[in-house]
Amino acid sequence: MAAEIYSNNVSFTYEHGDKSALIDIMLSIPKGQCIVLCGTSGCGKTTYSRVVNGLIPQFFHGEFSGEQHTCGINTTADPIDKLTPLAGSVFQNPKTQYFNAKVIDELAFPAENMGLSPEEINHRIAEIARRFNIESLLDRSIFHLSGGQKQRIALAAATMLSPMLLVLDEPTSNLDSVAIAQMRELIAQLKASGITIVIAEHRLAWLNGIADRYIIFDNGHIAHEYEADEFLALSPGCIAAMGLRALDLQPYRQRIKALESLTDTQLASTSDTNSSGLASAQHDDAAAAHSVSSPLLSTHDLVIGYRGRDSFSRSIPDLDLCPGQIIGLMGHNGCGKTTLVRTLTGLIKPASGTVLLNGKPVKPRALTRAGFLVMQDVNYQLFSDSVREELLLGLDESDPAIIKRCDQVLEDLDLTRFAGRHPMSLSGGQKQRVAIGSALMCGKDLIILDEPTSGLDRYHMEQVGELLRQLAEQGKTVLVVTHDEELAAGWCTSIINLEHNGSTTNPNS
Amino acid sequence: MHSSSSTEPVASSSQTSLQPSVVATTPGAPICSAVVDGSASKQSNQRARASRTLDPRTKLFMLLVANLMLFFHVSVITQIIMVVLFLIPLAAAGRWKLTMNFALTYAVLTGLGLLDPEALGLPWIHVVSALAVGCTMMLPCFITGAYAFTTTSPSAFICAMRRMHAPESVVIPCVVVIRFFPTIAEDYRQIRNAMALRGIAAGGWELVRHPAQSLEYILIPLLMNATNVAQDLSVAALTKGLGREGTHTSRTEIRMRFVDWLMMIVVLIPLALDIAGVIR
Repeated sequence: MAAEIYSNNVSFTYEHGDKSALIDIMLSIPKGQCIVLCGTSGCGKTTYSRVVNGLIPQFFHGEFSGEQHTCGINTTADPIDKLTPLAGSVFQNPKTQYFNAKVIDELAFPAENMGLSPEEINHRIAEIARRFNIESLLDRSIFHLSGGQKQRIALAAATMLSPMLLVLDEPTSNLDSVAIAQMRELIAQLKASGITIVIAEHRLAWLNGIADRYIIFDNGHIAHEYEADEFLALSPGCIAAMGLRALDLQPYRQRIKALESLTDTQLASTSDTNSSGLASAQHDDAAAAHSVSSPLLSTHDLVIGYRGRDSFSRSIPDLDLCPGQIIGLMGHNGCGKTTLVRTLTGLIKPASGTVLLNGKPVKPRALTRAGFLVMQDVNYQLFSDSVREELLLGLDESDPAIIKRCDQVLEDLDLTRFAGRHPMSLSGGQKQRVAIGSALMCGKDLIILDEPTSGLDRYHMEQVGELLRQLAEQGKTVLVVTHDEELAAGWCTSIINLEHNGSTTNPNS
Repeated sequence: MHSSSSTEPVASSSQTSLQPSVVATTPGAPICSAVVDGSASKQSNQRARASRTLDPRTKLFMLLVANLMLFFHVSVITQIIMVVLFLIPLAAAGRWKLTMNFALTYAVLTGLGLLDPEALGLPWIHVVSALAVGCTMMLPCFITGAYAFTTTSPSAFICAMRRMHAPESVVIPCVVVIRFFPTIAEDYRQIRNAMALRGIAAGGWELVRHPAQSLEYILIPLLMNATNVAQDLSVAALTKGLGREGTHTSRTEIRMRFVDWLMMIVVLIPLALDIAGVIR
């Protein structure tokens, strides 16, 4: 039989799971096809990708039933090592899937484990490096590469043993649009060489034209199977109804462009009302927001950067961040978004220039007191045993006014149900809300979110968007660092793109 | 040839520029005696780099000797000699900052240990000097440990351990530990930032004032993340065949050179003399 992957009645329940992650999956994937597994969070797509590469049931334990053959190996009966040369895997988090410090060692790693001769290994490294265009990275430390470069290395390492199958679990969730385009190119190339590819993914747009078949998972079942042309012909509404991300990002990109130029033109002409034919409703919103409030935070001749090993500095166009705004901060990896955010929250000192808080130049310390950063990995920010304690941390728990405010914040953020739960037992989105709640309790006025929607499905992304809007309505100033075009286009009131050097965003002057 | 000449400056510049700000926990610059390929220029580059660090086995030997010092309770003079000896390779590997930190700490602690409370008429100094002596005894282990784990790449380490016929059940945890160090350093920075944003123990002083609380705030997120990272790493390693039965090879070439043997003998001499009672 030509099927590279064959699942017969596969069901699986994780060891401590209360419900089945996969139920009676019947699937057969022929050699050379590119299959996309999609669906909402927790639908079973990642679980199925683990079944395919043998991690289930051999690493992730639980109740497994049915029959799974991958590249002719029975994954339940044969040891997972047999799959090593046949199936390569790439995972979601670029930071935690490499084992070696140096790129060249990481590439050699699977080949060394297979016991290939050093000459053969070096030969393969040279070939793979050429193919993936990573020759200049070979001697670098992986720790200092960008997320996109790391995923490129991960893909290169996964193909070192010339596998027949590649399994990718949300490979782009931390990548910007340029890195995604590069990923697309590599996947297309690999597919052309006859490799079977299985991708579990939320962001679907980059796969147009590469994927042959889309499998929609829902609650552990396969809800639908579409051939590529059928799937791409579905209406955007239909895709949205299935809880999937957009297939065509063009409208979102246009909207972002409009928002960008909107913020630009406002700088040039606040009195000049005929600011071109842009989305007028949004323009009114934004203009209204600007006219009522003076900026909470503004920068003047700011140069951000840091010294030392990878010294970096860049000048930032003067910014004005006003209460009630949701400002999107976009631009490719490495253009200084994180550094800017760290400067604005006072975690690092500006290289030169000033940051003004309510019109007065302030020290970094005051910025740390006024602003809050919801980190991409929110786990670092939760310190207490329960959600309620987390919100009350550092505050006077005996003060009834504070207790009342805490209840209000819990209510606003839809956390009342979880008040007694341990923060670590919550889902990613809930943890985000707890972190935001703690910021609200501290009376922070500037709330910055770093990539709040990476790896989220449409429903959860929209939930984040609503949360941003809610914060803005409460009069908070919201700055969101994001690569997510759908979030930026849907919820931001203005967008700063750090990539465009000349782009100055200063709506009030 | 052209490719090697183009990559070479990158490699060497990153090598030198990495050194100054590398702190105790970052094995950012893995300096191993790897032979990349047949190209002559690259080999010479590698050799130049290799000469700056010792074989992983020597490093482990030094770590063992440092532990023996603790065990045999060596005299202060022996200790000073040994610490100087241990610091030399660390400096040679280009870890100036780390070397200076260790040297200073050791000097201060030794100084405190030598204080004579009776002569000063301050009996409470006893506590300080006793603590200081305790720390000086452990410091050689920290120095050799830091040297072994921050200047060795995981691949060189795996190779060395396998050469010594260490069982896989020892090799794999050791490699994971090496891989973990930079993660912990990075996590720690993130957590401190998060604490600053929340206004918890923002400054270093606050951290010291409530040690138990600070430890909790730092350790819990650190451990929570460590479990996630450990799972991700195991999964990645598993799919790449780390635990596979059968022979594993290594393209990283390690070998014991003259300096290695010399170092091993030199560090043994003071210890032997001390145990023999020659140094008092």
